[in-house]
Amino acid sequence: MATEPKPRTQPRGAPEDPTDRPPAGRAGMPAGRVLVVTLICLLVWAVLYGPELKRSSEAQPDGTRRTLSLAILSPLVWIEDRIGVTATVNAASRALGRDPDAAVGGSVGGIPVDIDQLPTVSPEPTPSGGPSHPVVVDTPVREPTPSDQLRVAVVGDSLAAGIGYFAERVFRPAFVNVIKQGRISTGLSRPDYFDWQAQMRYIMQKARPDLTIVMLGENDQQSLRLPNGQVDTAIGTPQWRLGYRDRVTQLAKTATQDGGHVIWIGLPNSSDTRRWPFVGSENQVYRAVANELPNVEYFDTWDAFAAKDGGYTAYYRNGNHVTLVRADDGVHFNSDGYTILMQQVAGFATSAFRLDPKTYGS
Amino acid sequence: VLFPTTDFAIFFCLVFLGHWWLNHNRRLWKIFMIGASYVFYGWWNWRYVFLLAGVSAIAQLAGLAVSRQEDPRRRMRVMAIGVAATIAPLLYFKYYGFFTVNAANAGSAIGLHIAPPLIQVVLPIGVSFYTFMAIAYVVDIYRRHFEVASWSDVFLYLSFFPHLVAGPIVRPNELIPQLDVRHDPRNIDVVGAGWLIMGGLFKKIVIANYLATAIVDPVFGDPSRHSGLEAVVGIVAYAVQIYCDFSGYTDIAIGVAKLLGFRFPQNFDRPYSARSVQEFWRRWHITLSRWLRDYLYIPLGGNRRGTGRTYVNLMITMLLGGLWHGAAWHFVVWGGLHGVYLAVGHWKQSKREAGLLAEPPDTPLIAWMQRLTTFVLVCIAWTLFRADSVATALTLLGRTITGWGLPSPLVTLPVLLAIGVGLATQFTPHRPAERIKAGLSRMNPVALGLTAAVVLFVITTLGPRGVAPFIYFQF
Repeated sequence: MATEPKPRTQPRGAPEDPTDRPPAGRAGMPAGRVLVVTLICLLVWAVLYGPELKRSSEAQPDGTRRTLSLAILSPLVWIEDRIGVTATVNAASRALGRDPDAAVGGSVGGIPVDIDQLPTVSPEPTPSGGPSHPVVVDTPVREPTPSDQLRVAVVGDSLAAGIGYFAERVFRPAFVNVIKQGRISTGLSRPDYFDWQAQMRYIMQKARPDLTIVMLGENDQQSLRLPNGQVDTAIGTPQWRLGYRDRVTQLAKTATQDGGHVIWIGLPNSSDTRRWPFVGSENQVYRAVANELPNVEYFDTWDAFAAKDGGYTAYYRNGNHVTLVRADDGVHFNSDGYTILMQQVAGFATSAFRLDPKTYGS
Repeated sequence: VLFPTTDFAIFFCLVFLGHWWLNHNRRLWKIFMIGASYVFYGWWNWRYVFLLAGVSAIAQLAGLAVSRQEDPRRRMRVMAIGVAATIAPLLYFKYYGFFTVNAANAGSAIGLHIAPPLIQVVLPIGVSFYTFMAIAYVVDIYRRHFEVASWSDVFLYLSFFPHLVAGPIVRPNELIPQLDVRHDPRNIDVVGAGWLIMGGLFKKIVIANYLATAIVDPVFGDPSRHSGLEAVVGIVAYAVQIYCDFSGYTDIAIGVAKLLGFRFPQNFDRPYSARSVQEFWRRWHITLSRWLRDYLYIPLGGNRRGTGRTYVNLMITMLLGGLWHGAAWHFVVWGGLHGVYLAVGHWKQSKREAGLLAEPPDTPLIAWMQRLTTFVLVCIAWTLFRADSVATALTLLGRTITGWGLPSPLVTLPVLLAIGVGLATQFTPHRPAERIKAGLSRMNPVALGLTAAVVLFVITTLGPRGVAPFIYFQF
């Protein structure tokens, strides 16, 4: 930076041989053989990595790409399973530090996905201070102390991963232990890819959160499948909404057992208006289930983050102060957006479940 | 298309075939390669291929207009208009939101209620890189360093897929002459290319992604929850992460270009072995550093207009360099801090040249102390770069002083190992690697392919699932 080149008096010309060649001592290879090397590398890698590639393909939404990928990979992996390649590769994966059976996760543009290890809490029957019998009306969240922090789990898809990340900033660590469980590309439609019902049961059994914040649904515009991959209810049928509602109800009931509480965050509007009708119907389901079940409340983001005319806006106005809150994809929030959302959710928890304001500092 | 994906692997195999098949017919080859590059770009969002084509057309029209002017003043005026037209899309896409929000909030703070249209402008991927290359083309023609190229050459120069998304920022005289030359299909440096690609994948997938999830993201996410040791290790881990991420990307880009017989300039040269911040900038993102020097610092007057002006020019260059990385204040402060570092370095150098300051003795101990000091200064600046705001960065830097005596569960042996491996790449000698490459280049294609497959399997298995975007894609 600080040194200047000598002024050039002659126009810059091309180097004598501008193209790339191997340096002295290293042999080059003809293009045909390079292609052979490349293809062998990719094909052998695809065989070795086949189970993982199949898993990635299964995660894709229904469509030609998924069908084609699975049509190629399924027989390949079937053969690998039979001849022991999968077992060998899985053993190699474990030796390299990766659990081939680990749950899905990942990262989503800009906002990291950080899935916490679940804390183990003592097996008391009423850990949240709530009643041991089924609740019929909303109960308050217990008052936390530094020695007995409130356990707040954040579950759902990439939007939940985002709010989980910023929940740690909003909640005070002295009073709240945030358990981030957001996983990208997940939802309630595809338990064959990630089974949220089973995971929620596991979370309750292991960590028993006092408050569970749920945000999902962006990936659910597809047929409802069973954990074994079979289609249970096809998308676009009248039964889909009923089936989806059952799954939402089941998740909420699991999270509220033993006196737990749920704030179900509705989906915000997105820049792609074609998705509005479907997302709107999902929000209706979440709201209806929250109205029906005790200790479950619905938090609306559609109106909170919409423009004055009800349309999509990436900006949030607080008085005269303007903040960019949405990510470029028009679906997710940016860091400021997640922070504002979490602050609103924390305030909402105070009004809904009498969450102590000292837990989030206001 | 992202480099470390199966989509790209399939795309590249097809392009590789077409490239060498059409190698003898440069006209057809250029059409094919422009088409392939636009498919590569449009894979992400097809609408932005029009932006790429528009910037290319503006650059070529500006170049033609500049080349026709003989009168120096008119030539300069036309060049300035051409550069302004070339950079206008970048200003709109990258800075519209930043300036409107700041203008609206600054206005309301003083009682002026400005209501600019709040449009969400999505930043097209790679626009900062190809805009800088387009500016280099126009300015080089103005300086008579380069003659006007054909339309197809300019379109291909700016869109050539290996450099399109995140550089390196290739100069016209480095790439355009290669477009007209038939490349030798009998002598491809496959081992050199493969070494760069595998090394780049290892740096990105294994080290950068691991450090990001294991310590960097949690520590930068909420610094107040972490100990002083975690803060220090998190900052150092980010220095390693961004190096492995960005140099990994450019290594893959250079390797891919090599397989097609193209030579790209080096973009990184062991930056953390630098003994001063000036040297760091000669080793870090080299193609951006030299762009800022040649097309911003020198036109501002460089160091030719006196001491005071030199410092001002350095500050302007680095502040704009910071703003180039992102439309946010923490990037501006990051650039400003590096401007201060460079100004202090320049001042010390001038004092030494004047005999007013003693040269430090050239001993290994002093050299290592200089390296350590430079690394610490660079890490402090990286904190501003990575944090999502200046306030978060200051909180994290504060934790490095106040957060001691607390448990540090994130500082684990694998984290320290990954940092160690990332830093070790700065100091490993070249010769053993060259010997290994020479040995590999004598293997038969089947053995070489199998070796590459095993290496690729180990890399992909060591890394986390999914494809994390490269840090520099956002710029």
